Amino acid sequence: MGIFDTFTDMLEAALPWGEARAEAAEAEEKDDEKDSGEDSKEEESKDDEPEEEEEEDEPETEDPKEKFEEECKESKQCSPAKHHFDECVERVTGADEGKPVDKKHPNEDCVEEFFHLAHCANQCAAPKLWAALK
Amino acid sequence: MLARSCLRSTRAVGAVRNGAVNTSKRAASTSSSEAASPFRLNMAGSAATAVAIGSMAWYYHLYGTELHAMTPTEEGLHPTKYPWEHAAWTKTFDHQALRRGFQVYQEVCSSCHSLSRIPYRSLVGVTHTVDEAKAMAEENEYDSEPNDEGEIEKRPGKLSDYLPSPYKNDEAARAANNGALPPDLSLIVKARHGGCDYIFSLLTGYPEEPPPGVKLPDGLNFNPYFPGTGIAMARVLYNDLVEYEDGTPASTSQMAKDVVEFLNWSAEPEMDQRKKMGLKVLAITSLLTALSIWVKRYKWSPIKTRKIVYVPPKMGGRPNGH
Repeated sequence: MGIFDTFTDMLEAALPWGEARAEAAEAEEKDDEKDSGEDSKEEESKDDEPEEEEEEDEPETEDPKEKFEEECKESKQCSPAKHHFDECVERVTGADEGKPVDKKHPNEDCVEEFFHLAHCANQCAAPKLWAALK
Repeated sequence: MLARSCLRSTRAVGAVRNGAVNTSKRAASTSSSEAASPFRLNMAGSAATAVAIGSMAWYYHLYGTELHAMTPTEEGLHPTKYPWEHAAWTKTFDHQALRRGFQVYQEVCSSCHSLSRIPYRSLVGVTHTVDEAKAMAEENEYDSEPNDEGEIEKRPGKLSDYLPSPYKNDEAARAANNGALPPDLSLIVKARHGGCDYIFSLLTGYPEEPPPGVKLPDGLNFNPYFPGTGIAMARVLYNDLVEYEDGTPASTSQMAKDVVEFLNWSAEPEMDQRKKMGLKVLAITSLLTALSIWVKRYKWSPIKTRKIVYVPPKMGGRPNGH
């Protein structure tokens, strides 16, 4: 919906003789009738589409969110968060493998570091994601 | 205690001041042996200041700092703000997205979550046509009126029926879900902090594996956006889980976006109309305000522009009337 639609909408709303479309069955029955007439045309156009879609479908759908967030995690903007997270992962997994445990924080987890990294990545990916989604 | 010590210190300062006055008087006349008294004065002042600042700092240390009873884990990761199209002032819901979102709800969410406040009739003209909505309603069975023997028979659904719930009641839902109740989704966008952003983040935010060191009880999954990070719902949306009618690639985030928009519609079905009405109200009231200001100024213009002049009567040719 562009800015012109907004104005037309406002105008329609202000004008007392504006057209109000009923959502009742009648309108749709008309649609159906039209559809039956246009079926032959639609079928032709539909015949072309599935071939293209099949070709597109062969590679599995990729989630744009994951893709953008991976990119964002590697970006310069998130490098401090990623650095801290990686360091924490190393520390905590190291403790699991029998390395000397930090006595002040024996049960450390990396949730906070994970939060910071995820926050940064999401923040950076959000506008790109919305541009990519329908 | 504090008051007494304050009094004592003021007395001390007073004594010092007296001393200072005395010394200055004496210093004028005699070469004095008490030349160190300005130093004592400075010392006393500095000490009092130090005590005052120190006591304030100590007080702040004891009572001033904010206490956080919540850890970040308990708080959960705050959702990112996404630029939702329908959140803008002059934008409506994307009804194609609503239709896709309803499909996602029906094929995925509805196996656990009810949407009990939405009847089939409200989908008409929003996501589906009348015939489609009727066909969907007829797929379900509802209790009908009692027949001649008093038995309640089943009948196919009508437009006025509400969407069927997956469980008979909350207890059944808990029993089937390891004690966790899948909330009804009719008003969920309004019922959660962060609204659409939160639900979108929650649906798409399951990491491949929880960060190291996290220990969750059995049956809970790690989701950073859920307060406490342990959520009973596992990740449900995977790429290509549903096949959209309109050929939109069904990535996880696309499905999440559509279903969240649909849930926002189910929570605020009046939004499109509300925004339209709001614009009308703004347009008309601003017009009327402008008009009323103009009318007021017009009506008051003779009063605002009049000039009252006093012309003194002339008295017999004498100046000033005297």
